[in-house]
Formats: sequence, C-alpha cells, structure tokens
Amino acid sequence: MSNTQSGTAAATATTGGTVAGRSASLAGDAWRELRRKPSFIAGLLLLLLVGSMAAFPSLWTSREANEQCNARMAKTGPESLNPFSGSEHPFGFDVSGCDYWAQMVHGARAPIVIGITVTLVALLLSVLLGSLSGYYGGWLDMLISRITDIAFGLPFILGALVVLTAFPEHDIWAIVLVLSAMMWTTMTRLMRGQVIAAKDQDYVHAAKMLGASDLRVIFRHILPNAIAPVFIYATLNIALAISAASVLDFLGVGLDYPSLSWGVQLADAQAEFLEHPYLMVYPAIFLSLTLLSFLMLGDAVRDAFDPKLR
Amino acid sequence: MRRWRGAAPLFAVVAASSLVLTACGDDGGGEGDKGKTGGTFVEGINEPDNLTPGFTTSSYSSTVINALFDPLTELTPQGKVKMLDAQSVESTDQQNWTVKLRKGSKFSNGDPVTAESYVDAWNNAAYGPNGAAANYYFANIDGYDALNPEEGKPKEKTLSGLKVVDKQTFTVKLTGKFSDYPLTLATPFAFAPLPKEALDNPKAFKENPVGNGPFQMDGKWEHNQQIKVKKTKGYTGTRKPKVDGVTFRVYTSDDTQYNDVLGGGLDIGTVPANKVKAAKQQVGDRLQTIPAGTMDYLGFPLFEKKYQSADLRKAISMAIDREGIVKAVYDNGFKPMKSLTPPIVPGYQADACGEFCEYDPAKAKALLKKAGGFEGDLTLWFSNADPTYEKWMRIVAQNLKDNLGINAKFKKVPDSDYLTTLNEAKQNGPYRNNWVMDYPSAENYLASMWGVGNRMGWKGKTHDKFNKLIDEAKAAGTDSEREAKYNEAQQIAIDEMPMAPLWNWQNFTIASEKLGEVPIDSYAYDGNGVRIEDVTVK
Amino acid sequence: MWRYTVRRILQMIPVLIGTTFIIYAMVFALPGDPIQALAGSKPLPQSVINALHERYNLDDPLVVQYAKYMANAFQGDFGETFYGQSVTSALESRWPVTLKLALVAWVFELVAGVTLGVWAGLRRGKFTDRVILGGTTLIIAVPTFVVAYSAQLLLGVKWDIFPVAGTQEGWVSYILPGIVLGSFSLAFVARLVRTSIAENLRADYMRTARAKGLPKHRVVVRHLLRNSLIPVVTYLGVDLGSLMSGALVVEAVFNMPGIGQGIFQAVQTKQGTLVVGVTTILVLIYLFANLIVDLLYGVLDPRIRYE
Repeated sequence: MSNTQSGTAAATATTGGTVAGRSASLAGDAWRELRRKPSFIAGLLLLLLVGSMAAFPSLWTSREANEQCNARMAKTGPESLNPFSGSEHPFGFDVSGCDYWAQMVHGARAPIVIGITVTLVALLLSVLLGSLSGYYGGWLDMLISRITDIAFGLPFILGALVVLTAFPEHDIWAIVLVLSAMMWTTMTRLMRGQVIAAKDQDYVHAAKMLGASDLRVIFRHILPNAIAPVFIYATLNIALAISAASVLDFLGVGLDYPSLSWGVQLADAQAEFLEHPYLMVYPAIFLSLTLLSFLMLGDAVRDAFDPKLR
Repeated sequence: MRRWRGAAPLFAVVAASSLVLTACGDDGGGEGDKGKTGGTFVEGINEPDNLTPGFTTSSYSSTVINALFDPLTELTPQGKVKMLDAQSVESTDQQNWTVKLRKGSKFSNGDPVTAESYVDAWNNAAYGPNGAAANYYFANIDGYDALNPEEGKPKEKTLSGLKVVDKQTFTVKLTGKFSDYPLTLATPFAFAPLPKEALDNPKAFKENPVGNGPFQMDGKWEHNQQIKVKKTKGYTGTRKPKVDGVTFRVYTSDDTQYNDVLGGGLDIGTVPANKVKAAKQQVGDRLQTIPAGTMDYLGFPLFEKKYQSADLRKAISMAIDREGIVKAVYDNGFKPMKSLTPPIVPGYQADACGEFCEYDPAKAKALLKKAGGFEGDLTLWFSNADPTYEKWMRIVAQNLKDNLGINAKFKKVPDSDYLTTLNEAKQNGPYRNNWVMDYPSAENYLASMWGVGNRMGWKGKTHDKFNKLIDEAKAAGTDSEREAKYNEAQQIAIDEMPMAPLWNWQNFTIASEKLGEVPIDSYAYDGNGVRIEDVTVK
Repeated sequence: MWRYTVRRILQMIPVLIGTTFIIYAMVFALPGDPIQALAGSKPLPQSVINALHERYNLDDPLVVQYAKYMANAFQGDFGETFYGQSVTSALESRWPVTLKLALVAWVFELVAGVTLGVWAGLRRGKFTDRVILGGTTLIIAVPTFVVAYSAQLLLGVKWDIFPVAGTQEGWVSYILPGIVLGSFSLAFVARLVRTSIAENLRADYMRTARAKGLPKHRVVVRHLLRNSLIPVVTYLGVDLGSLMSGALVVEAVFNMPGIGQGIFQAVQTKQGTLVVGVTTILVLIYLFANLIVDLLYGVLDPRIRYE
C-alpha cells in the first residue's frame, strides 16, 4: 500500500473543505467525481443498509438478541430459499436454535463498531505519533520509529492470539483494544512520511518565520496538507479490522456470548458446512457485502483524490 | 484444537452393531478361518505428548502405547479382567496383592520381562521429582506419600509397598482395601513395564520406545507427522496382530480426520459428534458408535454465598434443556444423563437423579422462587479446550435467561489455567466439569469427584457419610453388595447436588473401505476403541 | 551502501529484543500453570508440579527467565517444550511445511497478481479492468477461512481434484492451500500493479519511448514494467514474511503440520519457549526481508542512493 504515499500533491485536500482556495476546489472536484461513480453510490447504499441494522436492529426484527431460542430447533434450515416468502423464520435457526435472521441483524453491530473504533483509535494514534516523529525528528523520531518497528514486526495473529487467550472475557472492547494495538503502525509510518515531506515546503518555512508556534504550524499548516493519504488508508483499514476480527472469531479467541457477530456465526458454521451450508452462507454474504462496501468506498475516494489518475 | 481426554476413553459393549463385529473379530478370526493376515493401515491420532508409560495420561499417547506394550491385565470386550502379561494377580484381603508374571514375555529388544521391569518402572513414575504425568495412578500404593512430599525433596526413592519376590513375582501393598485393583492394572500408559534402557537413557527411549507388546517401533517418532509400528518378531503374548504394521498419522482436528477418510488418505479416524448424521448417510456401517466413559457435569461453587441453596442448584439443573443441547451441539450423539456414573459402569442406575435432571421450566421457576430467587448476574465458567463447550454453554445461558430470567455472562478460561482455577476455587459461578474414566468402576467417578481429597465435589469440606459408604464399597466382597453401597453414596451426592450430571459422551469411529474387520469394542485402550491387533486389511 | 547495510542491521537488534521480549512477557502473563495443562483433566500431585517448575525455570522472575532463554537462544539452543522435546527439533519438521506453503502462495500471487495487474492496467477503464478490479475486491471481501472451507469441500471432497488435507502427497498437497493462502495478497498485488502501470503509462519517459518509435512490446517490457514493478517488489518482499505468520488459518483447515498450528497449540498449552522460538525466527525473516527489499529498491531505481 506504499503507493498511497505517492504524490504529496494529493495531500492538499481536507475533509470538510474548511481551508479556502485551491484545496477546497480539489475536495469539491473529488466530491463531484464521486457522485458520478456508481460503485461509490452502491457502496454507500450498502453501508446505509448494514449501518441501520447495527444502529437500530429493531427496525429489522422484533426479537431481542439471544432470546426466544429453542435448542431443539437448532440447525433447522429455512423453509424456502426466498427470504421474502413471508415465513416466520426466513433464514431458519442458528446452531443454538435462535431465529437466524434476528441473530444476523443483531450480529451487525459488533463488526461495524469494531471496524470503526479500531480505525479511529489507530488514526488518532498515528496522527499524533506520526506528526511528532516527522516534525521533530532526532531522538524522538528514533524512539517512535523503533517502537513502530517493534509493533510492526510482531506477527499480527500471534500477538492477538496470545493476548486474547489471556483475557477470559471477550467483549467488543477487548477486541477493539487488541486490534488497535496491532493496527496503528502502517498509518503512523504513512503519516510520518507525509509530515517529513510537508515540513520542508515553503509555506511551512514562511509560517515559521512569521513566528507561528510549533503546534500551530503542525495543526494549521502541515496536517491539513499531509493527512489525505492517511484518511484514504483508514477507509481500507476499517475493512481490514472487520476482517481481522472475524479471523479471531474463527480461531475461537473472538467475541463471546452475549455478543453476537457474523464472525462468531461463521466460526460456529464451519463444522456444519457440509450438512447445513446455509449456516455459513448467510453470515458470509453479510460480512462480505459489508467489507465490499467499505472497500468500494475506499477505492472511489482514493481515485477521486488522486489527480494523477484522472 | 487439541482435545485432552486425560486417560483413554474406554468403551462399552452396548452398541449392537459393534457387538456383532466384535464377535466376528474375536471368535472367528483367531483360528484364521476368515480373517486374512498381512498388510498395513493408517489410524488417525493427535500428536502424543510422551510415549513412555508413566509419563503421559493423554489418550493419543495411549493409542500408541497400547500397540507397543502389554500391561499385566487387559479388559475384555465385556469389561471383565483378563490376565495379559501376568499369569495371576491375586489377593486374599483385597489389600495385599501378589503378581505372578507370564513366562516367556520379552521386550522387542530381546530383554526378558521380569518383576524388576515393573517395580522399577512404577517406582520411577511414582517418584515426584521425575515429574511423571501419571504419577497419581500410584497414589494407592503404600509409601506413595514418602515419594511425594508437598515441599522439598523426598526422603525415599522407592515405594515401600512394592517388593520383588523373585524374577517372576512381586507383591503390592495398597493403602487400603480395593477389590477392583486388577482392573486398574490394565491401563497401559500408567502400568506397563519398562526395559532397563528406559531408565538408563530416558531421553533416547522417549523418541524410540521399546515395549513388550504386539508391535514395535518401525523407525523413529516423526513428530507432528506420524509414528510407524510393525509386528514384533517373536511376540509370545495373546494379542498376536493380523496386520504387518500400523501407521499412526498425526492430525490436529477431528474434522480433518473425517474428511481425510472420505478422501481416502486415512483408514481409521474419529468423527466429531456433529458430523455423525452426515457420516452415517455417507458411509453406513463403516461408522461405528460406542458409548464412552466420559461424563460432563455442571458444578456449582458451594463456597459462594449465592449458591448455598440446594433448591437453587436443582432449579438451575431443571432449567437446562439437556435433550436440546445434545441435539443442537452433538447431533444426538451424546446421551443426556440422570445419573452420576455412565451406563457402561457396573451398577448404573438410569434414573438416579429423577425429576431434578429433567427439563421442566415451570417447576424450575417454582423451585427458584422457593429458594428465594437469584440476585444479579451469573457467570458461567469453562475452558477453551474444545469449541463445543462454548456452544453448549451458550444454550445454557439462553435457557437460564428464557426460563429463570437470569442474565448470564461467560468466563472462557485458557485450558492451561482451568484446573488451577477450579483447584483454587476461583470460579464464582456454575462451571463445566468432566470426568474421563480410568477404569470401569463407580468408585473411579464418585471418589475422584466427590470423595476424600477431591478437587471439586464438596470443595473444602468432605462428607463423612459419603466417604464411609465409598470405603465400605471398596472392601465389599460381592458385586451386588458393592454396587448397592455405591448407589447409596450416589444418592447423597444427588440430594445435595454440588454437581448436576449433564450427558455421557459417545465415540464415533469411521473406517475406510480398504479394511476388512474393524473390531471396536468396549475396553480397548486405543483412542478410537479399536483392537488394532485384530484389524484385517482386505 | 555498506554503511547503510550495517546501520540497518544494528537497528534490527533493539527491534528483535523488543518483539521477543513482548511475546515472552505476554506468554508469561498468560494465566495458569503450563504444567497442569500437561495432565489434561487429571489431577497432578504437588510434588510433580514442584519438580517440573524447577526443571523449566518457571519460578524465576520474568526478566531472569527471559535472559536465561535468550542467552541459550543465541547459542542455538531454543530450550525444551514441556513435553521434553527440544524446540529446535519440534520446529524442524514444521518449518519446511510452512515454508513450502508460503512459497507456493507467493509464487501464485506473484505470477497471477502481476499478470492480472498488468492486463488491467493496460486496459484501464475498459471491461477487463472492471472485471479484474471487481474480482479482486471480492477476494479481499470474502474471509479466508470461508474460501478455504469452500475450496476444500468442493475441490477436495466433492470433485476430488486435490488432496483433501495433510502433506502426504508432496508438492501436490500444497497447491490448493497455497492458492487459498495467496489469494488475499494476490488481490493486493494485482491492484498495486494496475495502479502503478496506469500511473506510469502517462509518464514522460513513456511518451519519449513511444516517440522514439520503439516497438510496443519493448516499450511495455523494458520501460513500463521495470518502472511499475518497483512498488510491487516492496510488497512482495514483505509479504513472504506475513504469509508465513498468516498461514495459521489455512494450516488449520488443511491439517498441515506447519508452524502456524504449532504456535496455536503452543499458546493454548502455554509453551512459552516454543512461542518465543517461532517469534524470534519470524521476526528475523521479516527484518531481513525488509532489508533486502530496501537494498533491491536501490538496484531497481537508480534515483535512490543509500549513504
């Protein structure tokens, strides 16, 4: 993903377009281009769908999570493959006899919350560490860079496995903590590189000569010009975090009852795949579509902000 | 993914289909009138931890050790004791036992098996500082405590209860009367004899064990890959093998074993319970089912204030849908239990627990009310050793919520920490507990789980009346007297319900089309319940 | 160049110590007594526990244990597992499996990824490009273990094209797992190449080359490919290391006795020595792969000079 570092010219955009002039017009351009892209629109719609399940499950099902289950109905498939057939259990029952559709709807929240929170935490960390390290250089840079190297060098799954085996309680926050601890490094490196490139620009020297404080230089001048590639990477990171969380679920160190997630449902389904394929197919579709929507959004945003590819 | 069964699962004769097969294998095959000899086959195992008898309790090690070693006795397919490497094991008072060895028994390196081969091996495993995993199997021999002090180095190096009389004879003095003692000696991974080289150079021996059994190593132990054994030349025992060799191939999951049998890469493998229905459709008779000795229980932390009421404990037991769980998680492969001991143990009482182990949400609710209700959340404790634990605990949690309105959370403890957690009484809620049978006697369950020095039954206190009944049963002369005493003791454990019985495990073994007879019977110490010496290849 | 290399190697030392110490400390912090796990569900007498604790230095403080471990490790002795097997021999049989698996995956992602990427890049915006782009997005979106199970059941069990599991049939056993393992990275490689090609197509040197009247294939191979593949080299180099540590899931599904499985079991049974042994080697591979990639970068791109 080192290619996203390319072109500091792309870095002149800001999120809301608060900076006047040139950058606002790039953001404006980008937005205009985005609106025309079908993949962007499709991704956005998908995301809205899944997001509404995560935020307001009651819109989609009248059942609460893990309630009204009957173990004796477990692994009973749907009566019809058509989910709109009007059956009371359009997706059948899950491995413990709960309505699969309801469990599926309630399973949306965990992955989305994990993906977004992990990325936010990682983004915050990387902006902070990356700009400190890039701007000040010297021993601080040395220290932060080596710590980043260490965290980057740790085999990801191995680290998560060890930490999560040690925690007996696996709620969403334990997973968020572990994934954040593993996922801040790439963005930090990206940020550092951007800051180093930006700090030698004339306008930064000018601001310094005018007596601006370090903080002001970093926040008003460097960051707005350096952060775009990091943001673009962050949209991809959401998908990666959701995917990583599902791998942890698969390995049996992910979320525990009463939390629900598609990853756990997939993990439950693996042993049943041959006899009850629907158990794996439904959550796989939901999870894949969610990841797909984040990936499509990320792609579209990157293309829109990268003038070289216009 | 590693599943520990502790000791080898022992199997009963109950399943009709396997009985027929067994009969063919045992009676017809011996004379060679139908079973062809020769050929080799591949059996699936998990990586064993150690192949030196005394230094392991894992069922995967047991599978291999069972091929390499002949212990003093063996268990017949009916669960009765039969002499194997011994000529006789006798006692007049059930406490002092005399063992006479079979003449002509040899190790595969040519050394004769003598009384020392047993006594030295047992002393070696019973000596605490050697760190032998099967150490506690020797705890009922007189002098064990001197070799295993709580702290510091032991003063003695040998068990005072073991005495060599002559080359063929030794005596065992137990700490108390125990009429089932010859039964326990059939455990190969604890009580098999060792040649001298095992004690002289244990490191080398571990990689290339030498035993007195029907098979010997064919090359070194290829870790994480396979262990090959071949027929022992000049074997004089009664377990003469029909095949020329066996390859034990190492797997890490039962799912893969099953898939590999279907794909033709494996001849004998384990089928996970949730695959049984599909396997039956796919392979028919080549899937054999046998009840195992393993029991699952739900324990209650009696040292916690919240769980003092027996009515509360019974209410929880009645709110759990055992039938539903067994269907959902184990595809009806395991059997819901209303007794503390499994059906394959003599004296089994099918309905010992009665209505308290029956799913009845309404009565459970009433009983909970009588007990004064339940305040706050409830935490369920179990280990991460097997993914199905979490699956059934989830249904227990849903049952408790739907039927009793109790909110449950999970504590999934690392496997390596689970027993320590129980030993230190850190679990503050109902917990998974389980017992794998060492030998088919009710004593093995009751004394180990509820009796003196127990780890989990009545944590911290012992029950005098219960213990007295167990002692009386152990000294009893007749089977019926013994069983009556055990059942009386069981009733006490049920009335107070420190642990509720859940279900009894079954084992499922699948064989490939390549094999002719695959006798799977009650008490073979093979992880798949196979009498490997009687297997034939088409 | 030499000074750069030496400096980089010196920088590796703190990273190596840092990573191994963190892992060691984490395994150390895992609750529970690894010795008890040895006995499965059966009780272990206190005397046995005491003896084994002493044998494996389990009663020393963390830093002392770590120091003892590392001192031995640098002499090539990675210690013993609690089953009394030396870690070196426990890993001996596992490395080739994972290495072969990663290699198959790597070659697959390299060949297929670059081909698809170049194809899509040259036809940017056209139908082929859209199909390849959509396909790679889909591959990233479907979780690896779903792909693995589907592949095993369809290609292995139902259609019997590949071995179902295990490593008994030599290289053939590695094809299916290798493709599954490599598919995720393949998607990244293809996209990387595609972007890079598309960017370079418009570069000035390309215009010059075409203006000079060079034949098209020469322009593509000599100029376009050489310049476009630089970022891919970085990715592929680092990926060989992550393939090895990421093989866990695939190894589990296909029953391959590689290090991924070894690690998983070792963590479950708290086999600290084994976990740290594997980590040390994985980190070393990762660090050296990085170094080689950076040096290679200088060779491929003459604009970059290391001082």
